[in-house]
Amino acid sequence: MSTNQTAGVASKRAYVVAIAFILFFWQVAAWFLPDFLMPDVPAAFVRLWEEFNSPTFWEGLGNSMTRLGAGYGSAIVLGILIGLVGGTLNAVRSPLKAAIIILQSIPSIAWVPLFLILMGFGNLPIIVVVAIGAFFPTALSVMNATESVEKVHIAAARVMGASKLQMLKRVYFPAVTPELITGAQLAFGNAWRALISAEMIVGFSAGLGKSLAYSGEIADMTGVMTNILVIAVLAAVIDQVVLERIKHRLLRYQYL
Amino acid sequence: MELQFNQVTKSFGDLDVIKRFDTTIKTGEIVALVGPSGCGKSTVLHMVAGLQSASSGTLTADGKSVSNPSPKRTLVFQEHALYPWMTLIENVALALEFQNQPKQAARKEAHKWLGRVKLTGFEAYYPHQVSGGMRQRCALARAFIARPQVLLLDEPFGALDALTRMTLQSVLKDLIEEERPTVVLVTHDVDEALYLADRVLVFSNRPAVVLKEIALEHIPKTHDLSAFADIRRNVLNLLGIDTDTLSTGVEKGEAI
Repeated sequence: MSTNQTAGVASKRAYVVAIAFILFFWQVAAWFLPDFLMPDVPAAFVRLWEEFNSPTFWEGLGNSMTRLGAGYGSAIVLGILIGLVGGTLNAVRSPLKAAIIILQSIPSIAWVPLFLILMGFGNLPIIVVVAIGAFFPTALSVMNATESVEKVHIAAARVMGASKLQMLKRVYFPAVTPELITGAQLAFGNAWRALISAEMIVGFSAGLGKSLAYSGEIADMTGVMTNILVIAVLAAVIDQVVLERIKHRLLRYQYL
Repeated sequence: MELQFNQVTKSFGDLDVIKRFDTTIKTGEIVALVGPSGCGKSTVLHMVAGLQSASSGTLTADGKSVSNPSPKRTLVFQEHALYPWMTLIENVALALEFQNQPKQAARKEAHKWLGRVKLTGFEAYYPHQVSGGMRQRCALARAFIARPQVLLLDEPFGALDALTRMTLQSVLKDLIEEERPTVVLVTHDVDEALYLADRVLVFSNRPAVVLKEIALEHIPKTHDLSAFADIRRNVLNLLGIDTDTLSTGVEKGEAI
């Protein structure tokens, strides 16, 4: 208990130090470079405050979060299903795993031209690209974990008369949850990168990626740095706060 | 439930594990299978549980061929068979939930059974928070709650220290006397077999055949096994333990 708390405090302190370090180097670069190439840290924060008061910023943020939620959410659900099925059916396991390993080496952004033509200019190609980025690590981690569920846990459920569905819900799913969460955190990193880059390329309606690309096009470096700041902070908050909370909740028994 | 083994043979590839096993276990009888480790006693249990099938010969329960697991024939494993992500009461209730009993009713019944194995007050603990002996008490409750007609025990107390083991043997004996299932107990602990069983089958090394059958019915059982001294010596000799030499090694001049 106390060791967990100390670990938590130590990790928070590490984050504070890291953030100070990053901002310091940014500021050092700003001192050496002219303002139109690298803005001061305070200038970016002032811009950020202005953005907070503009509805365009919130619209873009809302669009990006919706795309992330739809793509990442469906990838997690699909990854769990495919992972469980692939892990329990011996016949499909090896070819499916090989297919995933091949497909996941393709950067998800490489699919953009195909989906743009296939699905038309809109939200859908971005969502699908995000989903592709998140799906593979999720499915792979669930599949690997499913294979290594303890034999005695499966045998015990069988002698208790569990049906196939009960077995999946009550034994396999909780047994693979620790690996699933690790996979889902990895998947989030992929999804986030895919989202921002797809928005930068596709440029359909407002969004964090589009806003960043646009600032670059008009050589507004304060805008560029502000957008990068927002992208970095959001990713850290979602990963370290939201996903960590869910992890502690689902794996409560491990932290007692 | 009466179990009938008719020339049951089990082989894995060329390796014969059980050879032409013949016996009838009457309803309510308690039979212990004793033998060197790895001789295939557990395979006999797994076949009765329906987890494995015989290579040749027939195995019937109340005249019906055993092919699949059934909650009527339940198995208690050596250890680690409780689900670590569930509390003790959830583990016990699961046996009823797998038989589609409503959650509330299952929980109430589980509470009662935890009381019968003296675990009242530990309902909300997770398996890793309690001792090995308590985990096996919980495993017994999970087995008995489904009112099995056949109770299969695979070295249930093998991982426990001697004192805890004796306490648990008494708990098990009481439960068997109250519930009267047919019991097949696999153990390498000769004293455990003598204390619990009506009949002991002594197995040889692989391929396992029955070396000796000892009827113990009508002899009142306590942990004081002095009445069994002759039988005990006999069984140990069959298992290759020399009970008559004072000590081994030293007087024969072997290096220590």
